[in-house]
Amino acid sequence: MLALRRSSVAAGFFGAVLAAGATAFAGVTGSIHDFSARGWTGGESCKVCHVPHHAEQTLADAPLWNHTTTVAAFTLYRSSTLHKTVGEPGTRSKACLSCHDGTVALNSFGGAVGGEFAAGRALVGPDLSDDHPVGIAFYHAPGLVCSNCHGGRPMRLVSTLPFFDGKVECASCHDVHNQRVGGARLVRTTLAGSALCLHCHPK
Amino acid sequence: MKTAPLLLLSLWLLASAAWAGSIVTTKHNLSVNGAGTVKAVTESEICIFCHTPHNGSREAPLWNRFSSGQTYVPYSSSTAKAHPGQPTGDSKLCLSCHDGTVALGMVRNRPAAIQIQGGLTTLPSGATRLGTDLADDHPVSFVFDAALMAADGQLQNPATLTGAVRLDASKQLQCTSCHDSHDNQFGKFLAVNNTASALCTTCHNRTYWSASLHKTSTKTWNGAGTNPWPHTSLTTVQANGCENCHRPHSAGNKPRLLNFAGEEPNCYSCHNGNVAAKNIQAEFAKTSVHSVAATTGVHDPTEDAVNPPRHVECADCHNPHAAKAQTATVPAASGDLAGVKGVSSAGTVVNPLVNQYELCFRCHGDSTNRGPARIARQVVQTNSRLDFQSANASYHPVLATGKNPNGPSLIAPWTTASRMYCTDCHNNNQGPGAGGTGPKGPHGSAYVPLLERRMELTDNQTESAAIYALCYKCHSRTSILANQSFPFHNLHAVGGDVNCLSCHDPHGVSGKTHLINFNTAYATPASNGQLRFVDLGTRSGFCDVMCHGKNHTGSTNPDFRY
Repeated sequence: MLALRRSSVAAGFFGAVLAAGATAFAGVTGSIHDFSARGWTGGESCKVCHVPHHAEQTLADAPLWNHTTTVAAFTLYRSSTLHKTVGEPGTRSKACLSCHDGTVALNSFGGAVGGEFAAGRALVGPDLSDDHPVGIAFYHAPGLVCSNCHGGRPMRLVSTLPFFDGKVECASCHDVHNQRVGGARLVRTTLAGSALCLHCHPK
Repeated sequence: MKTAPLLLLSLWLLASAAWAGSIVTTKHNLSVNGAGTVKAVTESEICIFCHTPHNGSREAPLWNRFSSGQTYVPYSSSTAKAHPGQPTGDSKLCLSCHDGTVALGMVRNRPAAIQIQGGLTTLPSGATRLGTDLADDHPVSFVFDAALMAADGQLQNPATLTGAVRLDASKQLQCTSCHDSHDNQFGKFLAVNNTASALCTTCHNRTYWSASLHKTSTKTWNGAGTNPWPHTSLTTVQANGCENCHRPHSAGNKPRLLNFAGEEPNCYSCHNGNVAAKNIQAEFAKTSVHSVAATTGVHDPTEDAVNPPRHVECADCHNPHAAKAQTATVPAASGDLAGVKGVSSAGTVVNPLVNQYELCFRCHGDSTNRGPARIARQVVQTNSRLDFQSANASYHPVLATGKNPNGPSLIAPWTTASRMYCTDCHNNNQGPGAGGTGPKGPHGSAYVPLLERRMELTDNQTESAAIYALCYKCHSRTSILANQSFPFHNLHAVGGDVNCLSCHDPHGVSGKTHLINFNTAYATPASNGQLRFVDLGTRSGFCDVMCHGKNHTGSTNPDFRY
């Protein structure tokens, strides 16, 4: 019912997003993920993660992967008010954690073992219990009624953010290659007004 | 993959753009664009004041604040069965702003505190700043389980708390049981609309409440005087429900969370003529009152029913959860006295009482703290319960029909078979019993001791309908002065300026008929050494008494016989 009432608004807004996106997606160059200035890349930023041939096969869904993959044991997020099970980080997230858990050096790629590790805000660590859960299914099973669990305090069941096998992963909030809204966080949409959070959490 | 996000975006926009209960439009949006007056100078993120996606505290979902580390004074009362300690769980989270000790903008994922407009650091004083003294706030952080339900006896089954009002994972009640910090659609971030106390009654199941006039009355405030409902926007007694008397935070009276400090102000706020039809408060300004203002903090609901420290409060006679509009037939108590304790004619505590006199007997019966007799009597008895016993030789018919089969002075509908209430004599001198329009009940009277009509207590006053108005209410003055019941009534009352009460002890007399129990201020032994009335049968007897210097020796002198 809401959909009918607001469809025209939605169409207009979506058009605007597309238009804005076309100009704002600046790519990896110049972003915090642009490692070309690091000596250990020889100016080739992409190869920290990707290689065109003979790619790493251990991480499914990590295209032409070139970085050493983390084998850390993760501590998962827990909450008494969480109704879904938090699983192990999916392969998309494991790709991120292969630098950001701090167990594998940034410059451990292509078979080399480096010594520069993520630090400061970039360091998430293998303890994910203080981080927004990943590996958590966003969609409910068919037939479940929201109020079964949410008691009138709803979680939005749809979002424009991407999910992977129906699960939230790092890439649901972050775009590894693009500074969509500027800044070092590489978030998919602005944090102003907590817009990113409100995508899924209609608080 | 391309069309699904499109569809999802559309759906999201539709469902979300103006979410009814969104935090975005509330005071809890502390960002620069927030709806309240407490908000950031430049920070535009909303969630950040409490949450962070990374490196949060594990106290709560991705918690971005610091605990205050304060030690709190928890709520306690003599009737509470829950005994909360220090706040736990989500309540601690709320207190990290609402105790007023932690800077609002101090969050984990910012190197410096977010600047708040007006140079504010902590929550400014006001209704939402609870401080560290939580004794005036509804208790939190206690387990609400079947055992507590059983111990309290007036709680709902906690297993039913599956909706918007919920316990936490440890079965504890927390701030978040009543409040949804993200949703202010009902005001005060309440989890459900509290009109008619729907929120309160989710957990509280007060005995008698369902029939209470405080639950059902549609009375409104006439706008005069103090707002009886200062902390709600509701406009009827029915809608305010529990909040007519209670407030869950910053209560004026800490135990039991009453609106106002002390006891009677909580009743006067409505019973002053501005909400309830009758002005009860004004009654207590009269000469003779049940002095509810005399003590503060002495009354306790758990006190002994008969021998607490001497006091009287509104709640000693009235149960505000039970009082209802229900008339009664003598000797039964009316709805005004529903749900209160009493003492039976046999001296045992009854809860709830059935008969009106049972209430009076709590303090005017076996209580050891009774005051002295108002009139010095030959037979001293200040225990009113014993005064009225049906085994006594004479008594006014409160506990049983009277003993005397002859009552020529009785004014219809009174007969010798009648029963009466204490309040037939002790009542408001301006109430309906006295022909007035004031409230019913012995709250206050112009006439001591709280008499419905004037009744002088001493001799040497010229007899009139006015000075003995109370007796003459039921006993015809014409009949009395015509000596229909006692041949010397006129002689004494008119000829001697003798008060009815100088010979008659109105409650009852254990060993004498006709309520004869001399006032020893006037009556002393006769010259024969005797001080007595002797009943010789129907309309026959004599006295031996020295009264006002007049020697009555009925035992030997026929002049003093009848």
